Formats: sequence, C-alpha cells, structure tokens
Amino acid sequence: MQTVTMEVKNEDVADAIRTLLGRILALDEIDAVMVPGRLPGSRSVMPLLIHDPDQLDNSDPLSPAFALNAAKQVCRLTRTATPKRVAAVLRPCEIRAFIELVKLKQGLREQVIIIGSDCPGAYPNKIFDALTREGDDSGADHGYVKRPSVDESSLSKACRACEHPMPTGADLAVCLWGVDTGREVMVDAQTDSGREILDRLGLKATPLPDQRAAAVETVVAERTRFRDSMFAETAAATDSLEKLDHYFAHCVNCYNCRTACPVCYCRQCVFETNLFDHDPLQYLSWTRRKGMIKMPTDTIFYHLTRLAHMSTACVGCGQCSNACPNDIDVMSLFRTVAHRTQAAFDYQAGRDVAERPPLSEFREHEFADTAGLHWRKEA
Amino acid sequence: MLRENYHAVIIGAGIAGIRSALDLAETGSDVLLIDRAAHPGGLLSRLDAQFPTDGCGMCKMLPLLERDSAEATCLRKGFFHERIDFLPATELSHLEGGPGRFAVRLKQTLQGVDPQLCIGCGACETVCPVDMPDDFNSGLSRSKAIHRVVPHAVVGAYVIDAAACTRCGACVPICPTGAIDLAFDRRKEFSILVVDDELSVRDSLKEWLLNEGFMNVQTAESGAEALTLLEQSDVKLLLIDVKMPGMDGVDLLKQAKADHPDRVAVMMTAYATVDTAVEAMKSGALDYLIKPFDPQAMLAMVNRVFQATVSVQERQVTAGAVILAGGMTLFDPGEGVNPYGYGTHPHVITSLAFERVLSGCGPSQGRLVRPADGKPLQRIAWLQCVGSRDCQISADFCSRICCMISLKEAVLAKNKSNDAVETTIFYTDMRTFGKSFEPYRRQAEEERGVNLVRARVHSVTASPESGDPLLRYAGLDGRMHEAEVDLVVLAAGFRPSPETEALAELTQAERNAWGFFQPQPFAAACSSAEGIYLAGACTEPVEINAALIQASAAALEAGRTLRRSGSQLALAEGPAAKGVAPDAPPRILAAICTCHGCLSETRNTEKLISGLTRDPAVVQVLFVDQLCGADGWGPLEAAIKDVAPNRLLVAACHPLRHSTHRRALSRRTGLPENLMTIVDMKIEPTEPQADTTARSLRTALGEHVLSASLQMGVAFLKHTDPTAPEREQVQRKALVIGGGTAGMHAALAIADMGYGVDLVEKENRLGGNLAWLHHTLEGHAVKPLLDQLDDRVIQHPKITLHLEHEVVNAVGRVGDFRTTVQNAQGRTEILRHGVTILATGGLEAETTAYGYGTHRAIVTQQALERQIGSGEADAAAWDVVAMIQCVGSREPSRDYCSRVCCPTAIKHALYLKEKNPRVQIYILYRDVMMTGFSESYYTEARRAGVVFIPYRPQQLPGVETSPDGIVTLSVRDPIAEVDLKIEANLLVLATGVVPRLPAKLAAFYGATLDSGGFFQEADSKWRPVDGLREGVFACGLALAPQTITEAAAAGQAAAQRALRILCHESLSAGHPTAAVRHSLCVLCQRCIDACPYGARSVDLEQRRLVVDPAMCQGCGACAAVCLNGAAILNHHGAGQMLAMIDAAVE
Repeated sequence: MQTVTMEVKNEDVADAIRTLLGRILALDEIDAVMVPGRLPGSRSVMPLLIHDPDQLDNSDPLSPAFALNAAKQVCRLTRTATPKRVAAVLRPCEIRAFIELVKLKQGLREQVIIIGSDCPGAYPNKIFDALTREGDDSGADHGYVKRPSVDESSLSKACRACEHPMPTGADLAVCLWGVDTGREVMVDAQTDSGREILDRLGLKATPLPDQRAAAVETVVAERTRFRDSMFAETAAATDSLEKLDHYFAHCVNCYNCRTACPVCYCRQCVFETNLFDHDPLQYLSWTRRKGMIKMPTDTIFYHLTRLAHMSTACVGCGQCSNACPNDIDVMSLFRTVAHRTQAAFDYQAGRDVAERPPLSEFREHEFADTAGLHWRKEA
Repeated sequence: MLRENYHAVIIGAGIAGIRSALDLAETGSDVLLIDRAAHPGGLLSRLDAQFPTDGCGMCKMLPLLERDSAEATCLRKGFFHERIDFLPATELSHLEGGPGRFAVRLKQTLQGVDPQLCIGCGACETVCPVDMPDDFNSGLSRSKAIHRVVPHAVVGAYVIDAAACTRCGACVPICPTGAIDLAFDRRKEFSILVVDDELSVRDSLKEWLLNEGFMNVQTAESGAEALTLLEQSDVKLLLIDVKMPGMDGVDLLKQAKADHPDRVAVMMTAYATVDTAVEAMKSGALDYLIKPFDPQAMLAMVNRVFQATVSVQERQVTAGAVILAGGMTLFDPGEGVNPYGYGTHPHVITSLAFERVLSGCGPSQGRLVRPADGKPLQRIAWLQCVGSRDCQISADFCSRICCMISLKEAVLAKNKSNDAVETTIFYTDMRTFGKSFEPYRRQAEEERGVNLVRARVHSVTASPESGDPLLRYAGLDGRMHEAEVDLVVLAAGFRPSPETEALAELTQAERNAWGFFQPQPFAAACSSAEGIYLAGACTEPVEINAALIQASAAALEAGRTLRRSGSQLALAEGPAAKGVAPDAPPRILAAICTCHGCLSETRNTEKLISGLTRDPAVVQVLFVDQLCGADGWGPLEAAIKDVAPNRLLVAACHPLRHSTHRRALSRRTGLPENLMTIVDMKIEPTEPQADTTARSLRTALGEHVLSASLQMGVAFLKHTDPTAPEREQVQRKALVIGGGTAGMHAALAIADMGYGVDLVEKENRLGGNLAWLHHTLEGHAVKPLLDQLDDRVIQHPKITLHLEHEVVNAVGRVGDFRTTVQNAQGRTEILRHGVTILATGGLEAETTAYGYGTHRAIVTQQALERQIGSGEADAAAWDVVAMIQCVGSREPSRDYCSRVCCPTAIKHALYLKEKNPRVQIYILYRDVMMTGFSESYYTEARRAGVVFIPYRPQQLPGVETSPDGIVTLSVRDPIAEVDLKIEANLLVLATGVVPRLPAKLAAFYGATLDSGGFFQEADSKWRPVDGLREGVFACGLALAPQTITEAAAAGQAAAQRALRILCHESLSAGHPTAAVRHSLCVLCQRCIDACPYGARSVDLEQRRLVVDPAMCQGCGACAAVCLNGAAILNHHGAGQMLAMIDAAVE
C-alpha cells in the first residue's frame, strides 16, 4: 500500500501520529518505538525508547523542541543486528544524519523503521526552555502544528535556512503540508519496508492531494531565500583569517559543538587526544617567534579541521549552534562551507544511503583541473 | 665498497637487469649489476610514460617485502639495494669457469667525475664552454661536455663526454668537492712515439701533440731508431709511417707488438698504400690515418687512445651465474636506402626522439612543438615497421612493441594538446597482441580520434610550398595518396644492442640469425651456454611485462644453478640492532658534513650549534668532513660509540645516496636504522657571474634552509617510536593450483629450491593443454616436454601431488594460508602454505559462429591439431583449406587478442603445405599477429603460397555449406575490391583462448579477475605475475593468453616471486608501517577503502580493525582518511608531522 490517511480528532495531529505509532508498536516484528517525549514531571523533550504502548501518551512526536540530534541514538540501537527491529520518529535532518552514519558503518539501516514528517522547524533550546519555564505551553505543546501561523522568526536559524524539510529517506512519511490537517494526516510509504508496514496496519488507502506539491514548494522557496542570504552574510563575515578569528573570538575550546554534531562520529575527537598536548618547549618557541600567542592555542585549527573532516557530511541540523555556550553562530559557517564542499563533489549529505562519502571513493576523472589532468575527457 | 665474490653478475641494468637483480637479491644473493651506460634504466630511462596508464610505474618493481633493504625512491633517480652493487660504464672483458665458479673480468670506463665525490651541485656545468647535442634527448637539445647523465640522477650525477671535452680545465677549480679529474698529469706523462722518415711530419705532429698537453712525445726517423727508443721507455702509443726506407712500418709494428701486445699503434699512410695499412690492422694496429691528415682527426684519435688507457679500470670478481640483460637498441633509419629522409629532413624523427618531445625534461619541456623550429604541432604522422618486417634489409622480424608505442605516443600527444593535434598512424598490421592492448587501441581510435591508416608509406619529401613533410602512400584502394604533416615519427624497429656480438663470443651463448641471443626450446631464460641466462630484450624485442617475466625466470634459473653448485645465500633475518627502550629519553647526536670545507666557508657554524642545542634532546653536535664517503663515516662511527646516542641526525648532500651506509652503520653500531635520519644539506651551485649581494643572499638562504632541515630532523627523531617492528612466521611451503605447463614449471622451480609444494590438479593427469598440442611453430615436438615435466613432478620428493582435487575454501594471508581441498569422493584435507600460485589454465573458446557444429568440415584449430597429432588429418585429400581468424575475439564481448591463434594457423598451413604442396590455403584475418621472430614464418607461409585475405569486423565473411562436404566462404577482397567465393574442403576457425579461473577461487585468495576473466595483476606492466594481495601469483593461461614457452617462463617467474617470501623464516614490517589505536577506532572502515594494498581488515570476532604488517607498504593513505588518528603510521605520526612543520617554519 502506498499512502493511507489517519483521522485527526479535536485538531490534535500529534494524537493521530500517536495512534499510528501504537499500531506499529503492536506489530510482531517491532520491539520498541523511539519518539520525542517527556518523562513524567519533566519540562524537557528528549528521545524516549518506548516498549509499553501505554507509555505512548508521554510522547510528543511533533514537539518543536530539538534538544539533540537523535541520529547517534538510533546508531546505538542499530549498531549490530537484533532479532526484532525498532521504529524511530525522526526529523528530516536526523534522518539525513543517520544515513551518513550508516555509510560510516555506525548503524544498520535495515534495523530501523524510520517515521518522519514534514518539518515545520524547531525552537533553539534557549527559547523552548524559556517558553516552558514561563508556564506558557502554547508554543511548546502538542498544539504546535494546529496553528500554522507560528512565528517563524523565533525558530532556530538552521531550521529557517533548511531547504530539505521533507522526510526523504524515511520508510513512512507523515504528510502535513497540502493536507487538511484539521481532518486528517496522510502517511506515505517511501520504501519497500514502509509499504510492507502499511499493508499490515489495515488503514484506508488514499492518493496524496494535488495541492501538496505546491505547498511544499512554497516552504522550500522561502527557506532557500533565507539560506542564500545567510550564506552571503556569513561568507562576508569570514572571508579572511582575521575575520575568522573574530568570528570565533568567544570560543573556549569546549568542543560542545563537536559533541552535539550528529556526524562527528569519532569516539574521541583528535583535538582531545594527546596529539595536541604539545611539548612545553613548543609553546615557548611559538611565543618567541610571534611575541604573543593566545592560550589555548589550536582554536581556529580545531574549527578548520572539523570543517575539513565533516563538512561533506553536514546535514545542517544546527545543533552546533544550539550547543555553543557562548552563542557563536557555528551553524551558519559550517553550512556555508558544507554547501560548497558538497557541491564540489555533487554530493548531498544524507540524500541516499547508496551514495558513498566523497572522500571514501576515488574517481579517476574528477577534479581534472586540480589534479592536472585537464586533458582527460569526461567519462 | 665493492665485493669480490658475487652470486650473480648481471650484464645490463635496464628494467630486465634490475628485475633479475632485485629478484636474486630478495632471495638472498649478492648481485653485481653492470651497464655499458653511465646510468641504470636502459631504454626505459628515456620513456617517461607507458600505456595503458599513460604514466610511469617503474618504482613498482621495488621490493614490497623486507622493503627496508632497498631505498624506496624513484628508480629513475637511482637504484639502491643492500645486496646489489651497480657499476656504471662497465663491460665484460673476459669470462672463465662455469656454473657456480665463473671468473669475471670487467672493464669500467671512468667518466672524469668521481661518483663518490660528486654532489650534483651543477657548478661545473655553468662554466663548461662546450656546447654539444644532448644524447639523452636524442640530440634535440643541447648540453655541455660535462653534464648530468640523466636529468634526475642522484648518484654519479655528472659525467664528462671525453670526445667533446676540450680540457680547458674550467670545471676543475669550481668543483666544491674536487670530484673532477681531467688527467692532466697523466696526459703529460703519456708516452707517444712518432716514427716517420720525414722530418716535417715528425715536427708538426710533435708540435700539435704538445699543444694538446701531451708533453712526453719522442720521434724516430727509422724503424731501427724506434726500436731502440722502445727499449728505453715505456711507450704507450706509436704513430708509425707505413712506408719508410729500411724497416717498413708494418715490420716495426710487428716487432713493437711482439714484446708488448697492449701497446697501441696507429698507422700513417699515403692514399696509395691504404691497402697496406688495412693489412697492418691484422697485425694489431688499432687504426690508420691517411696523409695528409687533418690535425683535428689525428688529435681526436690520440685522445681516444689516451682516454681508453687512463680511464679504464679493470676489475675481477667471481660469480656463480651470469645473466645477460643487455637489451636492444633502436634501428637507425638513416641506414641504407632511407626513403623517409631521416637525418636529412629536419622534421622526421624517431619514436624514441618523440618520447623526449613529450617529456617534461625533454627539449621543449614537454610542450608539443616541432623540435627543429618550435612550431606548435598540429599534424603528426607515425610510420610503422621502419627497419622491421623488411626482407630487403634482412629484417624479416617484427619489433613487436612499436605498434603500442606509436598508439601511446599518439594518445599522449592528444593529451598534451587537449585533443587538438591530428594524429595518424600508417601501419601494416596493428599488433595489439597483449591482454590490455586491444582495448587501448579501441580507446585510442574510437574515443581519442587517433587515425589508423593501413598503408605502407612510399616516401617522405619536403612540400615545395611549406617545406613540411609530404607523405606519399598507396591506400587499400591501390591509388597513390599524399598527406602533408608537421612532423613524421618513424616507429623504428630494434636491433641487438651493440655489445651483443662481443658478449656472445665471451660467453659462448648462441645467437639467432638476427644477432639476438637464442633461448633454448621452451626455456626462454636459458642460453646455449651453461650458467649463462637471458633476460629481457636481448633475446627478442619485447614489451615491459614480457621482459620482466623473463627476467624473473632468469633469476630463478640462476638461483637454481647457485643452489646446485652449493652457494650459500646471505639472508639477514631482522636487523642486528639492539633496539632502544621505548621510554628512554631521546639523546640525539647531530653530525653535519662540512662538505670539503664548503660549510665552514659559507655557513655560520656557531649559530647552527646554538640552534640545535637549545633542545636538550640534542646531546652533541659534530662537524665531520665528507660524510658522504668512507672518510666521514669512520669518525662518525667512532663518535656514536663514544657519545652513545639513541638517535642520529646526519646532514649531508643527497640523503638517498646514504641508505646503504646507514644500514651498514646500524649493523656496526647497534643503533636501529629507523632511529637515524639524514637531512639534505642542499648545496646549491654558486654561479661565478653572480654579484656579492646575490651570493650573500644565497648563503643566508642556504643557512636558513639547513637550519630548518636540521630542526625538522630533530623533531622527527624526538617523536620516532623506537619499538622494533614485529615479525610474522612464514609457512615455508607453496600451493600451486593447476598442473599444466605453468603450474608444473612453478612447482618444480620452488621444489628445486628446497621448499615443499602442494600441486592440486582437477583432472586425473598432469599436462593441461600439452596433452593435445602436437608441435610448435618452430617445429619442436610437445610430447617430450610433457613426458619430461610429468616425470620430474611425479618423482620430485618435495612435490605432493593432489590429482582429481579441487580447492573448496581458503583463508589466510601472505606467509600463512590454509586451503581446503576436496577429492572426487568428497574427502577434504587442509593444506597450510605461505604462498599461492594460480595456474588454473585456459581452454579454446567455444563458438557457434560460421556454422560451427552444423557440418563436419567446419572445425576449430584445436581440432585440426588433434587430427594432425593422431594422424587423422589427411592433407592429401584436401584441395582447398580455409581458415578464419579472430572468431569471437577482439570484439567488445571478448576484448583481447588470444595471441596464439595466428601462429597456430600459420603453423598448420605450413604443415599442410608440406604434406600436400598442391593444397590451396586461404587465411582470413584482421591483423596478422606474428610478433617478434615468428614473423619469419608468416613470410615463409606467403612464399609457400598461402593466401592471406583481410576482413573487417563490420563485414564478416559468409559461410554456406552443402551436403557434398564443401564449405563455401564469401569474403570481400579489400585490395582487389571484388567479392571472392572460396569453396573449401575444410574450414578451420581460430576461436581463441578463454581462461579457466573461477572468480570464487580467485576470491578465496583476495584476487580479482579482469574484464576477460583472467587474473588481474597488481600492475600489468611492472608486476606482471603478482596479485594485489601479496603472496598470491598467477601464471599460464589463467594470467593471459600465452604460448607454451611464455607459460613456462611465467610459471618460473611466479615461482621466483613466491621464493622471495619462502626464503624467510619470518616477515617483518618495513618502516613506516600503519597501526591502529583501538581505543580511538570506531570501525568506520574508511581506511579499508583507502588501503591500496589490501592490508587492512576487520576482525569480526574481536570487532577490531587489524593491519597485516607484511602487506602494509606504509603509504599512509589510511592515516590520511582517518579523522581522529586511530589509523596511524608508525614513524610518521601526526604529532611528529606537526612538530616537523613547526620546526620548518621556525
């Protein structure tokens, strides 16, 4: 079955999705569902791994909170094969990150049924925290998608610049745009696994509405506009080493951005290994040469290295900025660079699990100019 | 430094000689490699790029196991192996003894520059006034009389062309190391006697000679006076007038030579008595001069004699075996009729010269311009078969490699010009006979637009309007055509190298009709003389891959002889060094070469010392003169013993030259080699014209560079891990899969060297295709070969034969494989072995083309051979026999030439013609692939009346059959432009060869198959029998289509490559080697993708990444792709590199 509808009662779209999750959890082959939600009594929304269907009430599948990118958590569940599979509700950027990690052999794609939805965006941690602290749940509860007129400007910058808000790569895509969410949401199967699941849920088949494509296009166009102006501003703000120094002036080498980054998959960052425990004579030799150096050293080196290491895998989720204690706009720079490095390899992080990471394969005929092979004909 | 006793002497240091030398050295032999040229590399040193990669890969010949024994550097720069000594400009002068005990006398010509002292700075070149054509660039550019021997040479970088040198002496004082010796003193002493009855001749000769620096000239007016003078002094050279009163010149000569046969005499004669002078040469005169003579010619001759006397050094060594690897030389197209105007038309050059045009260090630095006038090249024509396949000049053979060279040159020219240049090759048959050749041709022709025109060019003249070359040729249509081009490249064929004749006399090795050495039947590497083996193109013009296979086979034969004669091999298992405790703080001894006093003059030594000792790890700084030679290494050794450092830093010129020193020093002092580093002092030539500011700037820069290099060396050593690499045990047994020609040869070769062999054969008998082959093209019967091999294999105590067994599974890696074999009853057995040789063979391809299978008169070549063998073939009953070549071959579906079909067809045609001279034979072909000397059988077949008709794959011949047993062929004759009908009693199809190497079997050993299903070599040219996974080799038809002799050689080559491994009890990793820091590794496996040697894998049980240290070549690709330093390169760690970079920018 390709597409089914789920009835929306009391304008509660999240509840319709909970119903869907309940049915999936009831399937024999599914052990548990991972979905954002709150532990009883907690204000924060985190991924919950739910086995007991009754606990689905705690889930918040459409929460505007985005405390962390859950791709790494999915890897923890799929590192090796298990007898049964799990289902996971993921944002599009989490799906993309997971696909990158699968390519890097950090998780098994076939071990998880991915459920994604059109992503209206999320709040930065600080804003979400403020909203819940004030006791005003209006912006933070399940009703998030009831009011399409959410204040875009309060969304995180990464979300506003996200031109891929569709759950590409999910087994099941929950379609909100172009759909009358007052009455129903639609669930579209995007993979064979997804179709098999839908076949067994006993839901009503339906075609996707015609107006959906236009609705998606509007969102993408607006975000692409925002993104391009962000690229321009960021490029201008970092186009020299001096400006780059300013950009990262508040960086304290805490490496939170790399911990929060879903595609920084190293067990321990090279900057935290003994490689950067320089010989004391080395620091003295540096300051002797320059007259003065900033401590800790290696700040720009760290960011440049991280750009070199993961910009081809950057999915633009913005968790780096979210994690920065000193409000450095890490995401804008990384996305700006990633956009170019990925374009150079005609690559898009998370697009397709079959595409190999650019630096993992050698193509004899690429970068003819760089390699001095300008005479090579394109194969 | 030279040894007196060697296991083998190899004559010729081209790629075949290098391959043989390395193969022998890697199995423990001490080898002396000599070459008549002043540099190693042979012909290939002038060819920068080879097909199919269009690049160079010479370095792939270097050792991969125990690789620290050789310097891993570009082979074009030089060649260094601890068990190989190389003597440049050296020839064999005498040979005595036999296998195991040859006494070898050698003659080395000194090049005027001491290679031990020359640091390659180039100062001499800047002052040399002699401008002469540059031989290396085929005379297309200019050089000085003192010049680099090859542009990138490191050791013995400079040589003097004695003939061109004017002995002005300018280079002597400018040489910073005093390396140049123009022999002025010996010239003064060189004793010359002029004997002539005419005073004017005596006086003028003496004056000319004095002006030339020959101060010891005596004169005599008669023979009698001359004899008196000869008694009184040690005269080296006599100039004797033929016609003198009393004792004439010839009598004097005879008497002068009687006492001192090595005395040189040159006759002087008037034109009328030239005959007498010629006669005198039989009595021992070197040459003659005709009066009145040109002083320059006379002086040139005297100089030649002088050079030959003073610059020749004799050496005597012993050797167990001798390998002849002298290669071949290019045919001179200017010889004889010269229809293409070579040497007279400025825009006609040879293919070798065009290689130089394409080269970055060529006459135009690689720009595609016409050498004579610099005009950008737009139209180039190649003319094939110049000096080959030409009975008129006694060259009834094919030079074999010219077709591919021209195709490659055309493609390289296309590359250089962004496809703008128009390239046309005029050819007779495009002989793309090797595995990757046909696809290369297809790509060149179809994708790159290289024009191939089947025509023999009649003449080349200059266009009356432009002066450009104008070609006239007859097309296939029979009409004359003209084409104007910018440049004509003559694909000149090859001839035996010039010393072949002398070598044949000295070694008693037989030569063939064309002067190449003649190998024994089915034994390509064996000469007719015992203990003398043949490698490479000295037996036939061959391509790189065949040369290397034969070279390895020659090494194998030499090794066999050594073993039979009881020679002891010297294999050092592991370094003698004691090692250094990992936690011992670094103690660095820095030794800086003062380079014959240059350093103290130009560099601030105090500053160097204070800069170095700022780091407490540097315990002492030592200045030593001539660290590059024995003079310096003695004091250094003493200092190491005295200071007891655990690291050594040396600054000297050209670190590459010191690799053998370094190893010896390590042996003597116990300091591990990997804890020594040599940094380049980078002495730059000081141009005499430069002003003081420029000089001081240069000095300052030099100081800065030296200081930075030293600091980098300190950083490198401080961070070097002193732990010695681990060693892995070797199962010293081989598995050979397949008992055909190649497999039996491989098994016997390894078993003869004393190692056990398991030979697994699917059938219930040995022999493979030898069972049905009757005789070879050359007329050798096949049965005796099969019987002999069969006997030897069955009786060999070291060979365990597993008939009717198949391999069902295998695991392991080089040094330790475990293979499960199964017999017909299903019983299995596990074999353990250190190496694997795949010799699974091949078959005649099946076909349904041309009505095969529908009529009994349509057979394959194999069926015909069987009929001949069984006596069934009744040639007398046939009036007409037709053959079709390339059935199903050289088409996109089977994109290779099977190589054996053309020789087989011609062999059968000649057989049938012999049995029944009236039989009419038609051979329908695409290109007749009769390469090398097999060409002569093609000529013979045409003379015998066999008719060859070409067809194009776009228009295949038609076949119809009739019930009366007649097969009717229809084919279009492209020359006569008519449709022919041939009614034949027999139609024979050449369906070609297909390999019988199951992909699954190959995969057991980590081997892969190429597009034709053959074994994929690590490199088709440079590692022709190796798999990419070390320890796995292939030979015979599983490797490529080949003849019996080629399969035998490939079997031996594979065995030799395997012996490199079996000769070790354990294998050690080289420096550097990759390792894994497991605490950091997340098993993303990017390093596995990146590793080009297949050295990395995941241990699934332990869930960790493992590196096979014997297979790792230390390239560092894994460390580069690993993001957090979990993949590391020992001795080139990231921290080490960062510290070195910091030191460099300090």
